[in-house]
Amino acid sequence: MSSLVIQDLHVAIGEKEIVKGLSLTINSGEVHAVMGPNGTGKSTLAKAIAGHPDYTITQGDVLMGGESILNQEADERARAGLFLAFQYPSEIPGVSIANFLRAAVQARLAEGEELDATAYYKRLYAKMDLLKIDRKFTARSVNEGFSGGEKKRCEILQMAMLEPQFSLMDETDSGLDIDALRIVAEGVNTLRGPNLGILMITHYQRLLDYIIPDFVHVMYDGRIVKSGDKSLALELEAKGYDWVKKEFAAA
Amino acid sequence: MANIETLVSEPEPATENPVSGIDQSRGDFSYDVKYAFDAGTGLNAATVDYISSVKKEAPWIREFRHKALKIFESKPMPTHWATKDLENIDFSKIRYYLSQGQKPKRTWDEVPDDIKKTFERLGIPEQERKFLAGVEAQFDSEAAYSNIKDIVAKQGVIFVNSTEGLREHPEIFRKFFGKVIPTGDNKFSALNSAVFSGGSFIYVPKGVKVAQPLQAYFRINAENFGQFERTLIIADEGAEVTYMEGCTAPKFSTSTLHSAVVELVALKGAKIQYITVQNWANNVFNLVTKRGVAHEEAEIKWIDCNIGSRLTMKYPGVVLKGRKARGEVISIALANDGQHQDTGAKMIHAADETTSNIVAKSISVGQGRSTYRGVVHIPKHLKGCKNNTECDALLINSNSRTDTYPAISVRGDRNYVQHEASVSRVNEEMIFYMQQRGLTEGQAMSLAVNGFINDLARQFPMEYSVELKRLIDLEMEGSVG
Amino acid sequence: MSAPTLSTARSTIGSFTPDLFASHLASVAELPAWWLERKQAAYEKFAALPLPVRTDESWRFSNISTLSLDGYALRLPEKATTPAFSIPTAAELTFVNNVAVAGDSVRARFNLPSGVIVCTLGEAAVKHPELLKAHFMAQPQKLGSEKFASLHQAFVRDGAFIYVPRGVELTAPILITHIASGEGSAVFPHTLVIAEENSKVTVVDLFVSADASAQFACGANDLYAGHGAQLTYAGAQVWSRETLSFQFNSTVVRRDARVQSLNLHVGARQARHESLSQLQAPGAFSEMLALTVASLKQEFDQRTLQIHQAPNTKSDLLYKNALRDQAKTIFSGLIIVDADAQKTDAYQSNRNLMLSEEAEANSLPGLEIQANDVRCTHGATSSRIDPEQEFYLQSRGIAKEMADELLTFGFFEEVVSRLESEPLHDALHSVIKAQFSK
Repeated sequence: MSSLVIQDLHVAIGEKEIVKGLSLTINSGEVHAVMGPNGTGKSTLAKAIAGHPDYTITQGDVLMGGESILNQEADERARAGLFLAFQYPSEIPGVSIANFLRAAVQARLAEGEELDATAYYKRLYAKMDLLKIDRKFTARSVNEGFSGGEKKRCEILQMAMLEPQFSLMDETDSGLDIDALRIVAEGVNTLRGPNLGILMITHYQRLLDYIIPDFVHVMYDGRIVKSGDKSLALELEAKGYDWVKKEFAAA
Repeated sequence: MANIETLVSEPEPATENPVSGIDQSRGDFSYDVKYAFDAGTGLNAATVDYISSVKKEAPWIREFRHKALKIFESKPMPTHWATKDLENIDFSKIRYYLSQGQKPKRTWDEVPDDIKKTFERLGIPEQERKFLAGVEAQFDSEAAYSNIKDIVAKQGVIFVNSTEGLREHPEIFRKFFGKVIPTGDNKFSALNSAVFSGGSFIYVPKGVKVAQPLQAYFRINAENFGQFERTLIIADEGAEVTYMEGCTAPKFSTSTLHSAVVELVALKGAKIQYITVQNWANNVFNLVTKRGVAHEEAEIKWIDCNIGSRLTMKYPGVVLKGRKARGEVISIALANDGQHQDTGAKMIHAADETTSNIVAKSISVGQGRSTYRGVVHIPKHLKGCKNNTECDALLINSNSRTDTYPAISVRGDRNYVQHEASVSRVNEEMIFYMQQRGLTEGQAMSLAVNGFINDLARQFPMEYSVELKRLIDLEMEGSVG
Repeated sequence: MSAPTLSTARSTIGSFTPDLFASHLASVAELPAWWLERKQAAYEKFAALPLPVRTDESWRFSNISTLSLDGYALRLPEKATTPAFSIPTAAELTFVNNVAVAGDSVRARFNLPSGVIVCTLGEAAVKHPELLKAHFMAQPQKLGSEKFASLHQAFVRDGAFIYVPRGVELTAPILITHIASGEGSAVFPHTLVIAEENSKVTVVDLFVSADASAQFACGANDLYAGHGAQLTYAGAQVWSRETLSFQFNSTVVRRDARVQSLNLHVGARQARHESLSQLQAPGAFSEMLALTVASLKQEFDQRTLQIHQAPNTKSDLLYKNALRDQAKTIFSGLIIVDADAQKTDAYQSNRNLMLSEEAEANSLPGLEIQANDVRCTHGATSSRIDPEQEFYLQSRGIAKEMADELLTFGFFEEVVSRLESEPLHDALHSVIKAQFSK
C-alpha cells in the first residue's frame, strides 16, 4: 500500500503559471478521475508529475511512497513506478515495439541481471492477446503509422508490461471510437487492483462509463474546485462545464 | 631501430587518441628492421622497384606501378573541392610497404583499457582481439581460410591475394585490372596503383552462385590490414557473389594513411554485393576509391558503413554499362568528435533502362562532421534510366555538422531522377516519451539513432548489424547530458 | 608553321579596356568623388581577377569557353520603344543603354506617397549618399562572380534607386525597364531597393533588348528589407537570344521581414544568375523563386545561397526549369545554417521538366548545417511530362504540342501563383507564353 501525494502544486510553462496550487492524494487501488474544461491545466499536471523538462514546478511537492520525486529525472520517476499514458504518444521510427519494451523492461532490472527473453515474450504475447493486439505489431515501429486506437492500445500494453504503482492517464479516450474505447477500457479494468493507483484525466464523461472511478475531481483554472464520487461526473455531464465556470470564475 | 613516424604535422594530443596513446617510443614497439623486408619511408621510383621485386612481379606490373607513381606526383591534392585537412598528410613520412612478419609487436598489457573494454562490449572473440589490437601479427585460423577457399574452389572460384592473382592468373585478371578505376582517376587511386599490396582477387565463373559470403579472409590475413589494398572481383555471366570486408571493432594501425582501390566487374546478368564495415582509429586518413562496372542486366550493390577515422573520403560508384543494369549504394556514416566522414556515391549511367538507387544516412555526434557527396550522371541519348537518391542526416549535438553536395546531370526527356535530402535532430518529445518508460537519456538516444538507421542496418548480415547496434550504443555514450 | 601569335591566352578584360573605362569615367565626371573612387577600385579588381576556369567549383558544369568579353562597346542611348508589360504601376523608370530616358523626374509624373524616393543611382549619389554607401553592393560576392560583379560596379551608370520609408505601403508595383539597344551594346542595369521598417513595396525589373543583336548585360540588384518590411521583387529577363548575361542579386532580410523574389529567365544565349539571401535576424523570411524557359542552345546557370545567420529564420527556394531543344540548365544551390541559427526552417527545391531528348539539366543542391535544431530539406528532380497526363489531354482532342504546352504552364503555375499581384502574375504569364509561340 503506497500513495501518490500531490501537495499545493504550482506549475509554469516558461513564465506562465498553469497549475495554481493543486493538492490530491491517490492511494494504491484507487481510481481518481480529474475532469475539467479545455485549457484548465489537466495535461500540464500529468506531464509535470512525470518530469517533462518544459514544465517548471515553482511551488509544492509530489511524493510517491512518502519520498519526493521532484529531484528525479523522468526516467528515474518511471523506474520508481510512475507511468504516464500520453494523450499524443510519440512515434519512434525504426524502433520496434518488441525491442522498445524489452529495453524498458531491461532498464528496470538490477545491473548485470539479464532479461529472460523467453519469459519476456511469453508475457508480452499474453498482454497483447488481452488487449486484442495482433502479434505482428511487435515488429512495427513504436506508434509509427498507428491509428488513434492502436496508439492508445499500445500505451495500455506498455502499462501492462511495466507494471507501475501509479498511472497517469492523459485523455486516454481521445481519438477512440466506441469499439476502441471499449477495448482500452477493458484493458485498464483488468490492470486495476490493490497495487495500482490511477489518475485519469478526461474531458468527457463517456470514459467513466467504462472505467468506474472511485473519486471524481473537477479542475478549473489550475485548481481542483470540487470533489465527489461518480455522481459528480454525471452532474457535470448534465450541466456542462459552463456550470463550473460560472460557479468558480468569480472565486 | 626505426621509430613509427608521425604522419600528420600536428599530431593530436596523446590522451585523445587510442593509437597515439600508446607510447610509441618504447623499445618493444618497434620494427625489426631488415633491409630486405622494409622499403623505408618516403616514396620514389626505388620504393616502387623494391615492392615489385619483393613480390617478384612481371615487368608489366612494375611498369604499371612506375607510371602510376608519375601520375600520383603530377596530380595536385583535390582541395579545390575536398577538405584542406588533406594537406596535413606528409607523404615523405609514410612507410609504403612492410612485408609479412615485419609487423610491430606490442604486448596485451600495453593495449589501453578503453580499447579492451570496447572489444569486450562488442563481444569480439579473444583470439581476434589480440590480432585487432596489434598484439599478434596474424590471427591463427589459416584452416578456416583454406576451408572456404577449398569449398569455393570446387565451384571453380579463384580466391587469392592480389600478388598471387596477378602472378598466377594474368589471363583472367590483367584484362580488368586498373580498367574500372584508371590509375589517373584521382591522386589516391594513383598512389594505390604505385604501391598496392594485399587485397583479394576473385573470379567467379559463369553461372556460379557462391552461397556463403567471402569474408573470413579479412580477419585472418594480416596483409589485408595493410595500407594500400587492391581488390578486384570479377563475376562472370550469371554469377553471384557477396564479399565482406572489415569489422565493427576498431582497427588499430600503426599507419595513418590508408588508401585502397576496389574494382568490381559484373558481366551479363551477374550480381555482386560488396559489404564494408569500417571503424578506423581516430588518427587515420582513409581515402578509398571503389567502383564497379555492371554489364547488361547485372547488379552491383555496395553496402558501406563508416565509423571512426580522422577523415574518410569514399564514394562507391557503379558504371551502368549494359542495358537494364542496376546499381545501388547503401551508406551509413557516423562521425564523432574529431572525425569527418566524407562519403557518398557515384552512379554513371551509360546504357538504356539502367537504374540506380542511393540511400545514405549519416549521424554527427559532438563536433563530428558528416558530408554526403554524390554524382548521378545520365548522358545524351539514353532512355528509360532512373535514379533515386535519399540522404538523411541526423545531428545529435548543437555543435554537430553536416553537409550535402550532390551533383546531378541529366540529358533528355526519357529519364527520371529524384534526389531528396533532409536534416533533422532527435525529437525531444520522443526522448521524453522513452524516458517516461524508464530509459535513461543515453539509452533513449541510442534507441533513436538505431531506429534512424534501422532500415539500412537490416541489409547487413545479422552478425554485422548486431555489432553495429552495440557500436552505436558505445558511440552514443557521453553524447548527452 | 605559322608565326607565333602575341598571346594565345584569352584576354581577361576583353572590350573593357582601361581606355574604355577612362571614357566612361569622363562621362560621369559630375558624380561625387567617393563614387568615382569606388568605381576606380572596382575596375582595378575586375582587371586583376582571372576569368573562371574549369576547375572552379562555383563554375561546375558551366560552359566557361563562351564567356569571352570581346566585341562589346558602350553605346549611346538610342530611341527605343518601351516593351509591352502591362501592369498598373506606382512609378516607372526606363533606361536605354544605361541612361535614364529623357532624364525626367519620376516624382513629377507619379503621385508617390511622401518620403518615397524613386530616382537614378546618380541622383542618389548626390542626394542620398549615406543610404547608397550603406546598401549599394555592400554585401559579399560569394557565388563565384566577383570579377563580373566588379565589372558591373566599375561601369554602372544610371541604375534605379528606390527608398520606401518606415510604415509606408505601396500597393502597385514600381516598374524598372532596362533596354539594351544596338549591336554589341554593353549594359549594366542596377536596381537598389530599401524597404524600411514595416513598409511594403513591389518592384519589377524588366530586361529587354531593342533588337536581336549580340549584347552584353551585367546587372545587379540589392534588396534590403528592414524590420517587419515586406518586399516583393520580380525580374523578367528577356534579353536577345545572342546576349551574354550576368545578374547578381543580394537580399538582406532583417527581423520579421519578408522578401519574395521571382526571377523569370527566357532570354540570352548564356545567362548566369547569382542570388544571395542573408537572413540576419529572427523572424526573417526569404522566398526565392525562379522560372526558366530554356530553348535552342541557351544555357541558364543559376547559383543560389541561403544563409541563416540568426535563429528562427526561414527560407524557401523553388527553382523550376523547362528545357527544350538542346538547352542546358545548371542549378547550384546551397543552404548554410550558422552554428547559432537554431530553429532554422530552410527548404530548397529544383525541378527540371525535360521537354526534349537533347536538353541537359544539372542540379547541385547543397546543404551546410552547423546547428542541430533545424528543419532543412532539399530536393531535385528531372523528369519529362507525365505520359498519362499527356494522353488524358490528347484523348480530349488536344494536340500533343498544345497538351505539352498546357502541362508546362501547369508546371510553372505552382511558382507564378505564389505572387500576390494578379496583374503581375498575368504579365509574367504572357512573357512565358510568348516563348512557346516562337
